[in-house]
Amino acid sequence: MQNIKKILFSIILVITMFMLPAHHVMADDNSNVNNTNDTSVKDIKEKGTLVVGVSADYPPYEFTAKVGDKTKYVGMDIDIARKIADDLGVKLELKNMDFDSLLVALETHKIDGVISAINPTPERRKNVDFTELYYSGKQVILVNEADRDKYQTKADFNGQTIGAQTGSLLYDLVKEQMPKAKVKGLAKLNNLVIALQTGKVQGVAMDQPTAEAYAVNNKGLVIMDPKFKVDADQTGYAMAFAKGSDALVDAANKSISEIKEQNLITNDYIPKASKYMKTTTEDNDLIDYWSYFLKGIEYTLLITAISVVIGFILGTLLALMRLSDNKIAHAISVAYIEFIRGTPLMVQVMFVYFGIGAVVQSLPALVAGIIATSLNSGAYIAEIIRSGIDSIEKGQTEAARSLGLTKNQTYRYVVIPQALKNIWPALGNEFITLIKESSIVSIIGVTDLMYQTQLVQSATYKGVAPLFVTMIIYFIMTFSLSKVLGHFERKMNHD
Amino acid sequence: MTKLIEIEHLQKHYGENEVLKDISETVNEGQVICVVGPSGSGKSTFLRCLNVLEQPTAGKIIFEGQELTNVSEKALNELREKMGMVFQNFNLFPNMNVVENIMLAPMKVKGVNRSEAKKQALELLAKVGLQEQAEQYPQSLSGGQKQRVAIARALAMNPAVLLFDEPTSALDPEMVGEVLKVMQDLAEAGMTMVVVTHEMGFAKEVADEVWFMADGYIKEVAAPEEFFTAPKTERAQEFLSKVL
Repeated sequence: MQNIKKILFSIILVITMFMLPAHHVMADDNSNVNNTNDTSVKDIKEKGTLVVGVSADYPPYEFTAKVGDKTKYVGMDIDIARKIADDLGVKLELKNMDFDSLLVALETHKIDGVISAINPTPERRKNVDFTELYYSGKQVILVNEADRDKYQTKADFNGQTIGAQTGSLLYDLVKEQMPKAKVKGLAKLNNLVIALQTGKVQGVAMDQPTAEAYAVNNKGLVIMDPKFKVDADQTGYAMAFAKGSDALVDAANKSISEIKEQNLITNDYIPKASKYMKTTTEDNDLIDYWSYFLKGIEYTLLITAISVVIGFILGTLLALMRLSDNKIAHAISVAYIEFIRGTPLMVQVMFVYFGIGAVVQSLPALVAGIIATSLNSGAYIAEIIRSGIDSIEKGQTEAARSLGLTKNQTYRYVVIPQALKNIWPALGNEFITLIKESSIVSIIGVTDLMYQTQLVQSATYKGVAPLFVTMIIYFIMTFSLSKVLGHFERKMNHD
Repeated sequence: MTKLIEIEHLQKHYGENEVLKDISETVNEGQVICVVGPSGSGKSTFLRCLNVLEQPTAGKIIFEGQELTNVSEKALNELREKMGMVFQNFNLFPNMNVVENIMLAPMKVKGVNRSEAKKQALELLAKVGLQEQAEQYPQSLSGGQKQRVAIARALAMNPAVLLFDEPTSALDPEMVGEVLKVMQDLAEAGMTMVVVTHEMGFAKEVADEVWFMADGYIKEVAAPEEFFTAPKTERAQEFLSKVL
């Protein structure tokens, strides 16, 4: 057992090591040939779309707004990306994901570019190429109005906790320049603002325009200036492309200098963004967002239903392999089950999307999410089925075999039907778990209920209320399922 | 007399534990054999080796001229259907009702159609006196009724021999009679039977031959009247003094 696990672990480690550098090597190769033969622009033009990743929770740079019944990604970054796409003569396609995942998605070629108020730090420059800076903002800290007098300088935060988006420049700034304060890192800015409002953190570090948006939309929040020391590369924002796509960077730079010449950002983009923010705030009754929740429910149910079916088939197969006399089949099944049960679903979801997705470039997030949850539930269902089969007395098999039934017939007509009845409650439990755990796929941008909730949070600037609605929706789904399963259980027991 | 089952130097070991040491005997067609002996002497293991539910460690089982210990899985399945088995704990399938229990093997193994299988099953149930219980589920039957259904289920495959593994040991005393009666009827109808049992009365009355097993060997083979009145071996004398 130990050995199998070790071997499997090494195999996966080796695969991972090969896969990630492989891209760097490929990218380096490209950059060598690049000067003479860079196809980055040509590829985009052939494809007809420029796929740009954003983390749309950072108004006024990028955020979501409800226009009629539809969700739109809006903000100045979005306008810049659209201008670049227009200048290239292609369509703009936006992919919304966690800020942390953006550059990984770019490196693994899930997307063509990233625009999301990213600072082109030297570390980041090692892995991706940046355009010229298109905007420079100031970094500030959002605090509760009641604390306005308490926090005047950086030193006032000594011993207190400051929130910052993980993977952002702000996070590093707080860490380096406020060593006596604690940093709390979360992926979503919305959640950080909730943490501030509920007193979990005393301040949230963010960009000035964003902070202003939050301050305007939330009474009781104000801005303080900690006077961070920063250089231009750290305060400015640039768009990122994959390493070696010089032609694409050049094309984007041309659009950016036009934007600068015509002063489009201050004259057009920011006013437009503010307008969206204002309409959103005026129109932020949760009931208006029912279609968001509905879409989320649809996806959550879809992912769960497909994963249950695939997981059940896979689980049955694995259980039979584990119980079989064939040593190899047994070993494979044991190794698979132990490995899947021994690693977090969140890691598996990201591994399938970014890892396998690096090989299969066109793997959509939804499919990756379904694959990961199916593979995961397969392992758990396998163990449930195995315990069910083990619970059937040996005498049942012997009686069937003595009548001349084959091994397969014995399983099919005698063992499995009885096992199924015994494991029904455990199986039902697994299905309910799956509904809840499928919420993890929101991290790779699948529009399930959890993801939609985050959209509603950022669109309404309300943190707790959408979470409460979502909690109720999840409960209604799991409770109805458990009622339905209970009905079938009673029906089976009548027999 | 035609030989039906030949057992040649049969051995069965579980690791260090030698349950069957060296057994060679023959079951002839139409014979009723009762295997008796002290607990733990290997009677049940011996019976289960006959249809290879237990794989023998060494030796041969030859059934209708074919060596069971050395045939393909498919051939073994086909030979097994001719060796019906009745278990101490009945082993009825709780997920099916009585008549479905009986119909399963004829339909799935022999490919008999549903209505034909049902007709035959009901006839067999009538034979064991349970036609009324056809649609009931096993858990609502008494022990004696369950065992009679189990016998009917084994008979449905038209076996050449029936193997009984202590068929009355798990029954309440008042139900033993009804099961033994069914078995006696079968014996009188000419069915070949190998019965592992503690029912000495049944052995005395119905058996053609009594095989006395002890310590992993068959120590004595005799007609019942001879075995029960004048056992030859000391081991058998000792055993009979305890049970009679």
